[in-house]
Amino acid sequence: MEHLFKAITEGPKKTTAEKSSEISKRVRRMVKDLAQKAHEARAKGDPIGYLFIASYYDDILRAMDIVTVGTENYAGLCAAKMDAERFLSKAEAEGYPSHLCTYATCGLGFDALRHELGEMPPNAPDGGMESPTVMLGTGMMICDPRYKWYQAAQRYTGAPMHVLGLLSPPVHYTHFDLEEVKGYYLRYVTEELKGLVDFLERQLGRKMDWDRLSEVVDLSERTTKVWYDAYQLRRAVPAPMPTEDALNCMVPGYFMMGTQEAYDFYCQLYDELKYRVDNKIGTIPDEKYRLLWALNIPPWYALVLFNYFETLGAVFPIEVVYHPVKFEIPTGVTNPLERMAWRFYDSFTRRHEKARAHTGDSVVEWMLELIEDYQIDGVVFHQAMTCRTIHTGLLHQMSVLKKYCDKPVLLLEGDLIDIRNYNEADTHAKIDAFIELLEDYKKRQP
Amino acid sequence: MSGGMALVERIYHNRGKRVRELKAEGRKIIGYLCSLVPVELLTAADLVPYRLTGSMKEPITEADSYLETIACPFTRSAFDLAIKGNYSFLDGYVMPHACDNIVKLYDLWAHNIEHTYGHFVNVPHTLSPPSLEFFTAELSTFKTSLERFTGYDIAAAALRRSVRLHNQQRALVRRLYQLRRRDPPPISGTEMAKVLAAAVSLPVAEANELLKSVISEVGDRSPLRGQKRGVRLMIYGTGNEESTFIEMVEGIGAQVVIDDLCFGTRPYWFEVEATDDLLSGIGKSYLEKINCPRTYRQSPGSHQEDLESRFSYLHRLARDFNVKGAIFFTLRYCDTHCFDAPDVKEYLEGKGLPVLRIEEEYPLSGIGRLRTRVEAFCEMVS
Repeated sequence: MEHLFKAITEGPKKTTAEKSSEISKRVRRMVKDLAQKAHEARAKGDPIGYLFIASYYDDILRAMDIVTVGTENYAGLCAAKMDAERFLSKAEAEGYPSHLCTYATCGLGFDALRHELGEMPPNAPDGGMESPTVMLGTGMMICDPRYKWYQAAQRYTGAPMHVLGLLSPPVHYTHFDLEEVKGYYLRYVTEELKGLVDFLERQLGRKMDWDRLSEVVDLSERTTKVWYDAYQLRRAVPAPMPTEDALNCMVPGYFMMGTQEAYDFYCQLYDELKYRVDNKIGTIPDEKYRLLWALNIPPWYALVLFNYFETLGAVFPIEVVYHPVKFEIPTGVTNPLERMAWRFYDSFTRRHEKARAHTGDSVVEWMLELIEDYQIDGVVFHQAMTCRTIHTGLLHQMSVLKKYCDKPVLLLEGDLIDIRNYNEADTHAKIDAFIELLEDYKKRQP
Repeated sequence: MSGGMALVERIYHNRGKRVRELKAEGRKIIGYLCSLVPVELLTAADLVPYRLTGSMKEPITEADSYLETIACPFTRSAFDLAIKGNYSFLDGYVMPHACDNIVKLYDLWAHNIEHTYGHFVNVPHTLSPPSLEFFTAELSTFKTSLERFTGYDIAAAALRRSVRLHNQQRALVRRLYQLRRRDPPPISGTEMAKVLAAAVSLPVAEANELLKSVISEVGDRSPLRGQKRGVRLMIYGTGNEESTFIEMVEGIGAQVVIDDLCFGTRPYWFEVEATDDLLSGIGKSYLEKINCPRTYRQSPGSHQEDLESRFSYLHRLARDFNVKGAIFFTLRYCDTHCFDAPDVKEYLEGKGLPVLRIEEEYPLSGIGRLRTRVEAFCEMVS
């Protein structure tokens, strides 16, 4: 525990959390390598694509050898390095309000500055974000910045942009069933993926190798499965790997999907977790409370807060956010684009019917599953003030959850990137009170 | 005041009165949010569409327990009214996939507001051929759900008649707007906002009669002696159904002669194509012709060409209505509009049209402060 106390008291510049697992410590190197690949691609004149997390199109980019820059990831890196403010300020000066998604405004500020200077902003983390050849947005049920951000960025990058339609049905319909709409939803996503291939072929003068795409899709499916299986091991008590490690371990899955490196990473993660479970190696020596981190993006500039929980005997064995998806593809579906469409559709709708019959909210259903499977004592939500995508409706989610499961919940306030929306003392005070509540609940258990 | 405008005034101040009467007569009332819900289908199903709004006069209190203050204040206000029972006359609701705020509101509404019918129209964000095909399929789902709800098939003739009626309404609204090209315009921006708020509170046939009456009354107006010719302005952005902001602008002597707002021209500046396959025509029209920033239009090439493709219609409106300045008005947390802010400002200013950028709460947070800014802008423009 000594190292955790040190982590949270090291001084104002400490942002990242101390990790428990060995493999999660390798991820920083992988992030640097991703940036390096982009720098090399730029030097060689190879195409670079701006990429959004969880856009389900990664396999196409791998199969076409397009180097990707994860723009949200870069904003997170800037926040962790305490170097986001100059980009956020630049975006505000350009006319983007400070309440817009700060992933986006950090990225726009960076693009604006690079455009203005005609070179990388000085001392940019990991050498900076390379200018894209293409920008690949998505039009989904959630997250308007997925297309508005890149549309705005065109004024600085001049790069052609494509928006991939990825729609899924909502939970609620009074006079319809999911099965009745499934066919045209799947057809739509498949055709939109084909549209992305057409766009890339046209823009980059490259032809898709469909056999290669099939191999990549197969690799991605296996990678997702081993990642999912590895996380099942986290059900163990004591928790073999906490959320702060998982926030690193999601990087290969979200920014390198479809590569052998990502697959190998999750195989090794599985092995390490198995070893820790078999040998009862936990995150902290005396695990008193097991917590669930909800479907909320963490404050990337203050991940050390997870260590603060740990000094109080609380650990996060699992999280909803960045959780690997589970999906089933019917036998007989062999076309790679159709397989990709199924992966997207099934992972987005797999709790819809259950929610309709029970809580009415598919995210709450997910949380209830995790609470039971991972023996959770309480749930922590984080309201990121600039994200309307998954950070509004939390109050409703919390009240529905409380109706179906009597566990203490905590709502923290902060932001994705902008530290100006965060108050560390206030956060610690809330956590202290929450721990007391957890203790009280524990005492009341039979 | 007499005729159409008197009726407008009465409806504007009691929007739900007529649908409550219709409800008492046995009609079913369906609330809908946003311009992207194809109301033609509701009318064809013999349902009464009623456009949902918030209220500038009602502080948001109950909604705070469900929806955080970082959500769009207009949707929060609409939900607040619903939670307080102000929409108890509704039999059901329809919401489109317009933006993150409305998607979130749909879930909350479904969970917390009593209803017998609830439907979500999933609108693609792009104009690709698969998007058009998808949207047609989605409208077919919408149609079937209405048929199951009412217990009656929507006949092709009924849908065609409905398209005709709603197209007629659009044409009437455009005709009314055309009168505002005069200088000074015979109908103020404030009055126009009230007319449009009244129109979306009535069954389409009644609204059309109201519009005809207003056009007749207003068209005969002649400028009052001594009436000033104020600075002619355009308002672009997120709208709301209330006239408060426009009233303030006009109160300082300017004239709001044209707009591109959710409750303004946006649902009326097009016609639904009455194609053989009507659902396809409705889908194509709603998807392609409603100029909301939530719909991505593929950039044709350079940044300048992109701006031209996205905003040239605003320049055309400004030119046609002889506008001297534009107010880009958005409600706080309207992300799709706010991401466009630097682009639209650059475009319009590049065309020689000064732009005043205003971002506000709903209800408006400080009318005095806003007045000062608008006054300064008008002075600069004139």
